[in-house]
Amino acid sequence: MLPEFYQFHHPTKVIYGEGLVNDFAHELEELGVKNYFIVSDHVLNGLGLIQQIREGLEEAGFTITGEFYDVPQDASVEAVESISRQATDSGAQGLIAIGGGSVMDATKAANVIFSEGGDLVEDYSGAATLTRTLKPFIAIPTTAGTGSENTIIAMIYDVANKTKLAFSDKYLLPDLAVLDPVMSQSMPPGLTASTGMDALTHAVESYLGVDTSPHSEALAVAAIKYIFKYLVRATQKGDDLDARGGMLIAANMAGSSFSHSMVGCVHAMAHAVGGLTRVPHGVANAILLPHGMEYNFDVCKEKFAELAPVMGVDVTGKSIDEAARGAIAAVRDLGRQLYALDALPVRLRDAGVPEESLPAIAEAATEDGTIVYNPREVMAEEILVHLKNAY
Amino acid sequence: MSVFESREIFKEVIVGFFNLLGDTPLVADKLMASKMVIRFIYSDPDLAVVVDCSGDAMDVRPDDTDTKALVEMSMKADIAHKFWFGKVNLTMALTRRQMVAKGPIPKILKLLPAIKPSYAMYPKYLDENGYSQYNIH
Repeated sequence: MLPEFYQFHHPTKVIYGEGLVNDFAHELEELGVKNYFIVSDHVLNGLGLIQQIREGLEEAGFTITGEFYDVPQDASVEAVESISRQATDSGAQGLIAIGGGSVMDATKAANVIFSEGGDLVEDYSGAATLTRTLKPFIAIPTTAGTGSENTIIAMIYDVANKTKLAFSDKYLLPDLAVLDPVMSQSMPPGLTASTGMDALTHAVESYLGVDTSPHSEALAVAAIKYIFKYLVRATQKGDDLDARGGMLIAANMAGSSFSHSMVGCVHAMAHAVGGLTRVPHGVANAILLPHGMEYNFDVCKEKFAELAPVMGVDVTGKSIDEAARGAIAAVRDLGRQLYALDALPVRLRDAGVPEESLPAIAEAATEDGTIVYNPREVMAEEILVHLKNAY
Repeated sequence: MSVFESREIFKEVIVGFFNLLGDTPLVADKLMASKMVIRFIYSDPDLAVVVDCSGDAMDVRPDDTDTKALVEMSMKADIAHKFWFGKVNLTMALTRRQMVAKGPIPKILKLLPAIKPSYAMYPKYLDENGYSQYNIH
């Protein structure tokens, strides 16, 4: 059945290619400004990756007015304000984010006050608070998970109030996303696996959610296909640039998909696990995805059955129930393959979650904003059963 | 042309409905548990209403533009009217910029299941309080 209404808005230009970061300066010409400020992290700078990009842009006549490498693991309001202030003081006219989800989210949010001035939290936290296009913004992801280079969302940690602030606005989207597998090949196996499973969770939950649409479904399906094809390879052999590229594309497509259709109870549980026990988001999603699928089984089995062949399951002669079970088994099997590579835990206990925290996690999950998109009502006592299964 | 012909009528309707929600434990208990202070800023006709859940009972204050609210929701009065019939998907309305939400979005979304019963209450409220001309049948 078609949705009564949906929209698909995707203004970000996406370019893909091996070694592209050394050869994308001409793409910036059409953005009309010459002075850019780079946001990244110390690890990538230490690997010499930033220097390459800087030199390439300078050779093409652009000026890098400054650099910021101090984005914390959870992008903070303070970091966002520092980026904006330093970019302004340096005379920059645009921003370039090179990094994972935190770097990209921090730069997205920084572009708001860099472009518009004002107070980040007071004036802009929320949804649709912006009224016009911001200054030029380029995103170069170095992990294949959040797909933040393709989403309307930035999550920023408010240290003072110990809360995560959500910024959701179409104007946050970068003008240009540069996907270059060379930039992600230094990711260690654990991070490759957990970010890849994060992308898989985005795709699966977006496909099942109450706000799914034909466009977001198409992107989710393509992302799932790529993840099943490339994630184990990318984890096993970091310099397999085909696999790295496939995962970057998958994360990007999953990002666009969930940016339109959002996520559900797996993210609700993962947010609660992360908030209460500090388990990294991708690890929590990886462990909880098959359990969240079990939770939604009765209302989603047709959709799971549709995904089964995309995940490599032979559905010949199988009933809807059997094919749907096959999809969940395929997700579990992917997790086990990554576990066998010593890249991911498959149980909450192995991720360091204390058993006594499970009831509080279940309760917190029911208070997460994502539950409104889940295809089935999220009840604490039932979620607890699945959390115990995941333990 | 907007549904409500004057600010006064819209104020009567919407404030009356918020007060009804405040008197309905099925909805009010969950709203009160949130402890949130929300300002609704309506246009066409223009009106600001604060719904304050920070005290012992839900306090509805029309024309309050001074109280610091955790969340501010801006929308046309017609969109608000449709919303209370359950005919506006909040997240879609935010994406389409029919609504603007300032403040913590997850906390706003969390309230959606809590206010679900109000969608059935609104048409009944309109009929029972002399506003049946605004009902959508």
